[in-house]
Amino acid sequence: MAQYDVIIIGAGPGGYVSAIRCAQLGLKTAIVEGRETLGGTCLNVGCIPSKALLHATHMLHEAEHNFADMGLKGKSPSVDWTQMKAYKADVVGQNTGGIEFLMKKNKIDWLKGWASIPAAGQVKVGDDVHEAKNIVIASGSVPSSLPGVEVDNDKGIVVDSTGALDLPKVPKKMTVIGAGVIGLELGSVYARLGSEVTVVEYMDAVCPGMDADVQRTFKRILEKQGLKFIMGAAVQGVDATKTKAKVRYLPKKGGDEEVVDADVVLVATGRKPFAEGLGLDALGVKMTERGQIAVDGKWATNVPGIYAIGDVIEGPMLAHKAEDEGMAVADVLAGNHGHVNYGVIPGVVYTTPEVATVGATEAALKAEGRKLKIGKFMFMGNARAKAVHQGEGFVKIIVDKETDRVLGAAIIGPAAGDMIHELCVAMEFGASAQDIALTCHAHPTYSEAVREAALACGDGAIHS
Amino acid sequence: MTDLTCKLLIIGAGPGGYVCAIRAGQLGIDTIVVDAGKPGGTCLNVGCIPSKAMIHAADEFHKIAHVNDGPLGISANAPSIDLAQTVAWKDGIVKRLNSGVAALMKKAKARIVTGQARFLDGKTVEVTNGDEVQQIRAEHVVIATGSAPVELPFLPFGGPILSSTEALDLTEVPETLAVVGGGYIGLELGTVFAKLGSKVTVVEAEDRILSLYDKALTKPVAKRLEDLGVTMMTGTKAQGYSDGALQTDQGDVVAEKVLVTVGRRPRTAGIGIEELALTQDGPFVKIDSFCQTSMRGIYAIGDVTGEPMLAHRAMAQGEMVAEHIAGHAVEWDKRAIPAVCFTDPEIVTCGALPGEIEGTKSSEFPFMANGRAMTTERDDGFVRVVYREEDHAVVGLQAVGAGISELSAAFSLAIEMGACLEDIAATIHAHPTQSEGLQEACLKALGQALHI
Repeated sequence: MAQYDVIIIGAGPGGYVSAIRCAQLGLKTAIVEGRETLGGTCLNVGCIPSKALLHATHMLHEAEHNFADMGLKGKSPSVDWTQMKAYKADVVGQNTGGIEFLMKKNKIDWLKGWASIPAAGQVKVGDDVHEAKNIVIASGSVPSSLPGVEVDNDKGIVVDSTGALDLPKVPKKMTVIGAGVIGLELGSVYARLGSEVTVVEYMDAVCPGMDADVQRTFKRILEKQGLKFIMGAAVQGVDATKTKAKVRYLPKKGGDEEVVDADVVLVATGRKPFAEGLGLDALGVKMTERGQIAVDGKWATNVPGIYAIGDVIEGPMLAHKAEDEGMAVADVLAGNHGHVNYGVIPGVVYTTPEVATVGATEAALKAEGRKLKIGKFMFMGNARAKAVHQGEGFVKIIVDKETDRVLGAAIIGPAAGDMIHELCVAMEFGASAQDIALTCHAHPTYSEAVREAALACGDGAIHS
Repeated sequence: MTDLTCKLLIIGAGPGGYVCAIRAGQLGIDTIVVDAGKPGGTCLNVGCIPSKAMIHAADEFHKIAHVNDGPLGISANAPSIDLAQTVAWKDGIVKRLNSGVAALMKKAKARIVTGQARFLDGKTVEVTNGDEVQQIRAEHVVIATGSAPVELPFLPFGGPILSSTEALDLTEVPETLAVVGGGYIGLELGTVFAKLGSKVTVVEAEDRILSLYDKALTKPVAKRLEDLGVTMMTGTKAQGYSDGALQTDQGDVVAEKVLVTVGRRPRTAGIGIEELALTQDGPFVKIDSFCQTSMRGIYAIGDVTGEPMLAHRAMAQGEMVAEHIAGHAVEWDKRAIPAVCFTDPEIVTCGALPGEIEGTKSSEFPFMANGRAMTTERDDGFVRVVYREEDHAVVGLQAVGAGISELSAAFSLAIEMGACLEDIAATIHAHPTQSEGLQEACLKALGQALHI
């Protein structure tokens, strides 16, 4: 048994970042993780492996759609799926190994095993009970289930995102339930690998909650890439055999049950907070109605000495949100003032083109009755985008009509995931669209479109 | 006799000129633009844009040609490139942009006159187009004549001796190519041909390539060029060309073609600037903080006014001049002009380099520790922040890495808004992106690096 200032439960991005910051602040820190490798969902079965596969298959997308145009000739490239998965595993290995190194470097003890909290101030791992002044729960989330659908990643027919990253072979037909970020990213991967991909979504638009303009454009572009969409479809169940599956759904607009055949069904209907086995019930830790751990503005639960961050609490389930909370809670525990600006958290979808958003949507602001100005600039008018087959999509900036202050932005286009950060910095500074418009943007870059959208909030864009 | 009159006459329809025209049109200023060539100038016709198209094509070709050796599990059977088709594709893009720019100027109600302009006096310009000659009288004139490649007397352009313009139009990949001048243009195009299979030799008089940047920034580029099989001859002076070889003071270099990229000079000859006796700044036209020359009513913008010769500087000047003429309270007060070098890896610089300003320190975050970089098989390079020790004000941001050009916008915005380290460190950056490197560089400067 050892004594710590802080024990962090869960070594995902929220947990390991929090641990590093705690250690930097001079707190004696341990981290509990039962997985064989550190990094949590994000590094092991989430952001990183999916990005590795998106990168690996990007060339197939380019070869199919753009090579002939540029005078590039030759047979279509072929894929050794086992090798591609090995590449992905290697990337994951490098990343998780890196986290292990960081733990050692910062003198953080890794308590291997699954944790429970017998009492405030105690964390049990295996048979050992460790004492900690404070406990941070960063136990993350797991894929949420759907009534009538049984996921079995080992059989590889009806899978969740974890199973989809490791299918034994590329399916001929794949049906994705859920047109959210995960479904569209992995759907894109398999579409590029040659699968016939059909996405079944309950709502009428892809990426629910996202800017409506982006939703429309995004769906249209993905359709052009060969993904099929069945919208407004309430999935009733999935009937799986050893080799195939049928997805049954009812059209929301009415009518009889319909069926989509598939070799593999990916269930990507979202994620739910994961806190099982921690013993929170017995401790009397308060939960929200949606099964999240309830915390106050300092990430403290109702039980003194127990804190929670990341997917297991309220808010967008994003690695960087968890990381920021991890840093902030470390500050709180060290007696400093920890702060997270929840109004400025970017979100990125790594398809081609990429999609990235930050701040409020037009619909949400209008519902509040805010008077807005909207500046939109199409990548069709951006020279660099045109030079590299990426002239689809746009930048949209939403500002307050009176003050010109940037309230939100959405980008669908090349490198959107990196470009969005200019708008994040701008929003953190309370910048106006004019501030962005008066900043010199390098030519030829895609980011010029951000400036043009900012100009469009004022006197007008130049290139449209 | 005066054929046309207007409030604003712009000489040159490059990025500076056409943007000035569009902005002026939006502001209701009666505007004429004169250019002998197609709208878009060097940048759009024979510069930034076509080079980016060729860089993209070469990148894709190189990737697919070497995919069998890579870890992805993709194999491709002997892909080939039909460079004539690539050039035709590139020309198609340029053509669409030409007509796009012309349409934008028309939409803004600017008139376009084709021909060679020459000042008759400070308010009158004569435009010659073949046999046609007309005079245009304007209240304000903007000189936006740009720049041209510098020619070496012992390597005159023509035949196998290419400027960047001809290099973009080669329809066959030369077996051997010598690049004279290891600046960004030479290296961008040298990389294109190296990736397409040419045996490339870079001949540079200075003792290293990209000598405007510091060594740390250029090292990953030099390393990559070496990996691509490019031979570097630094500290070497080119002397002439004969019998299929470039002669240098270090011996001959076999070269089917020689690309000379030793810089660009302002285009001031032939338009009558001498007669106006405008004050010069070396070879450039001298301007004040409103882009006004020494003669009332005459402005100058872009490459003709000096370094940095960058399209976006010219565009920003063009916009400002239009607003100045419209009576707006504007002045050139940019704190930072980003510069991007589209080599492989790319380099972005914005603001001060390390050591340029007293009392500053710098901090680097390597992409080796960036998750996104690892997923793209390219973890070379870093992001660097230069900050004032006293108050942590960010005065410079640089990066070198594959595909990092789009970080440039966040760099310049941060510097323009007077960010300090803590501001950037406290901004949530999306995971996994290369942009996290910016946040980490600032965290590291504060002694709080997370991933290193």
